[in-house]
Amino acid sequence: MNLNINRRAAIRNMALILGSAAVLPSCLNDKGKPVVQLKKLKIDAAQETLVNNLTETILPKTDTPGAAELGINLFVFKMIDDCYGQEAQQDFITGLGDFADAAKKALGKSFNDGSAKERAAFVATVDQNSMNDKYKDDTKLTAFYKMVKDQTVFGYTTSKYFMTKQVVYELVPGRYNAYFPVKKTAAV
Amino acid sequence: MANLNIDSVKDRTFDAIVIGSGMSGGWAAKEFTDKGLKTLVLERGRDVKHLKDYPTTNLYPWEFPHHGVIPDAVQKANPIVNRCYAFGEDAAHFFVKDAEHPYVQEKPFDWIRGYQTGGKSLLWARQTQRWSDFDFEGPARDGFAVDWPIRYADIAPWYSYVEKFAGISGNRDGIAELPDGEFLPAFPLNAVETYFSNHVKKTYKNRHVISARCAHLSKPNQIHLDQGRGQCQERTLCQRGCPFGGYFSANSSTIPWALRSGHCTLRPHSVVESIIYDDKKGRATGVRVIDANTKEAIEYYADVIFVNAAALNSNLILLNSKSNRFPDGLGNDSGTLGKYVAFHNYSAHINADYDGAKEWTTDGRNPAGGGYIPRFRNVYKQETNFLRGYAAGFSAYRSGQRSSDGIGQQLKDNLVKKDLGGWQVGSHMMGETIPKKESYVALDKSLKDPWGIPQLRISVDYDDNDAKMKQDYIEQMTEMFTSAGFTNIKVSSDHRAPGLDIHEMGGVRMGKDPKTSMLDKWHRLHACKNVYVTDGASMTSTSCQNPSLTYMAFTARAVDHYLSEKKKG
Repeated sequence: MNLNINRRAAIRNMALILGSAAVLPSCLNDKGKPVVQLKKLKIDAAQETLVNNLTETILPKTDTPGAAELGINLFVFKMIDDCYGQEAQQDFITGLGDFADAAKKALGKSFNDGSAKERAAFVATVDQNSMNDKYKDDTKLTAFYKMVKDQTVFGYTTSKYFMTKQVVYELVPGRYNAYFPVKKTAAV
Repeated sequence: MANLNIDSVKDRTFDAIVIGSGMSGGWAAKEFTDKGLKTLVLERGRDVKHLKDYPTTNLYPWEFPHHGVIPDAVQKANPIVNRCYAFGEDAAHFFVKDAEHPYVQEKPFDWIRGYQTGGKSLLWARQTQRWSDFDFEGPARDGFAVDWPIRYADIAPWYSYVEKFAGISGNRDGIAELPDGEFLPAFPLNAVETYFSNHVKKTYKNRHVISARCAHLSKPNQIHLDQGRGQCQERTLCQRGCPFGGYFSANSSTIPWALRSGHCTLRPHSVVESIIYDDKKGRATGVRVIDANTKEAIEYYADVIFVNAAALNSNLILLNSKSNRFPDGLGNDSGTLGKYVAFHNYSAHINADYDGAKEWTTDGRNPAGGGYIPRFRNVYKQETNFLRGYAAGFSAYRSGQRSSDGIGQQLKDNLVKKDLGGWQVGSHMMGETIPKKESYVALDKSLKDPWGIPQLRISVDYDDNDAKMKQDYIEQMTEMFTSAGFTNIKVSSDHRAPGLDIHEMGGVRMGKDPKTSMLDKWHRLHACKNVYVTDGASMTSTSCQNPSLTYMAFTARAVDHYLSEKKKG
């Protein structure tokens, strides 16, 4: 983050020196544009990073691949951008802000600046709340979180990695055994 | 120039014209060309060739941009077709989008359409049951619609004929109200479906739960291999088009068969505007087509015309075929054209749990979908406060639940741990509805579709009989589930519009009397004998069987009739 600000400042200074501020690439505007191509959602680079970090926190790289490595973060953006209605998309944007605010309050720094451990601790609480029917959320934090988690789980469980390495999806079963002993299912 | 015109007319003249290339049109094409008749098949949509034009057929879930989910903008633009269970990212390209062919809903009606070679036969649920005389005698016994001019004996050999070619899997269950057919081996019931079947047999005198009969090649015969089709591989991705030809579709079966004969011309992008009636000759001479791409009008001529445009579009074509002799639509002396439209009531479901048979599950997938409960209400005599009855689907499954609790490694562990869970069971109703004069389709007086043809106004609704029947299904199935020891029984009744069953029927009904019906017992228009209607439009009543098999048998029988009449001269 600091590095980014410094880099941006350096480029701006350079641009001023060259007297060509008008041709500054738009990605160097204050907050920066996201890398991901979106049609409807309007987010900045920091928000994009937050969602990327959140998906990686939900589904981290361990001895098996995590969200970033599998491109789940991009899938989450694509789904929310293409498959959710306007109202849900507004909740996503509002909730993203709520999430960032709550994280800052809890961590004493931004979610993106937190360590993986700090992020996980914060998200664990959010996750608990999202599963609790009695939990009341006056903001859109939980709504935002649920969207991201749902699509992370959906993207992961329908990913090539998961459907070939973790479970075996069969395009062509070539059989229907109406009576199959449960004992044998462990082998499948 | 004059010669050129003569040549052009000659080029546009055939022995037979078939309007529509789907479930029944494909059969007409096959039967005509088998007998060497030069046949023109007109398809309003694009050509979809078997194998070649199934772009999604071998895609894995992760290869779809949204892993199978239809984007929000597409859903919002298509409220009607989006309600169809098969409208997913893998098959959306085979459905007509709402804006493509507008119609007027006087009452809500979900008109689900597939405009391409093969029509909806690419997309159907593949359930195939014969009618019996308990169905054909329904209107006469119960005093609605008009008497069917045919009985089971008329159609039985034709059921056999089409079943052998199409390939139908099923058991010979020996149930009078659901006659046995020419079956390939059935897909068996699983542990809980069998348990319920035995329970029902023990508890009720005339109720049965059987393996669903379906148009899948469980074990192909030579005739199926000759079509270039192979054994069903239990993919249950049928709506994408099957690379094995494992289920019956016009695309995999009748249409390529007809084309191989060398006698068939298939013309896609051909929207039939009307049938041309020659007042002097006293018969139909051809059809007028609007080319869907160029919007150019072209006429084609033939000795006989088969109307297989799918039920409501067959109505539309006849309504729009006006002449001095028939100012209200072709063959419409009775004034019944477009009226007495009916459908199947699919608006109730029931689900429950079963805490037993824990040692069993299933492996692979069942293309038949599970069990089928033939109609048991009012079969031998009237016994309820409503007319007719319903069939029902029944299936049991252990879908297993994946917990998505937690985050991090815990979540990953949860997602791979698939808990098999207990058995769940489900059923849905398929109710007969009564054709009524006030359930009709008609031409709109001013609104036109993109081809300049009047839009169809649809006015079809449920009635009191449907409500009572639905109540009875819920009560009877709840009782059957309860006595079987199923728990956590959940009834759901929805308010779906007619049409979503995709079993719309009637409007050009068969009957003995030209004063009260459109078609004779050979499916010819009473008043214009060289025009046959053999699709869903011809249905006098709906009974509760899935109708496609009956349309196939009707079509083969009607072509045979035409050919034998032609022979007589």
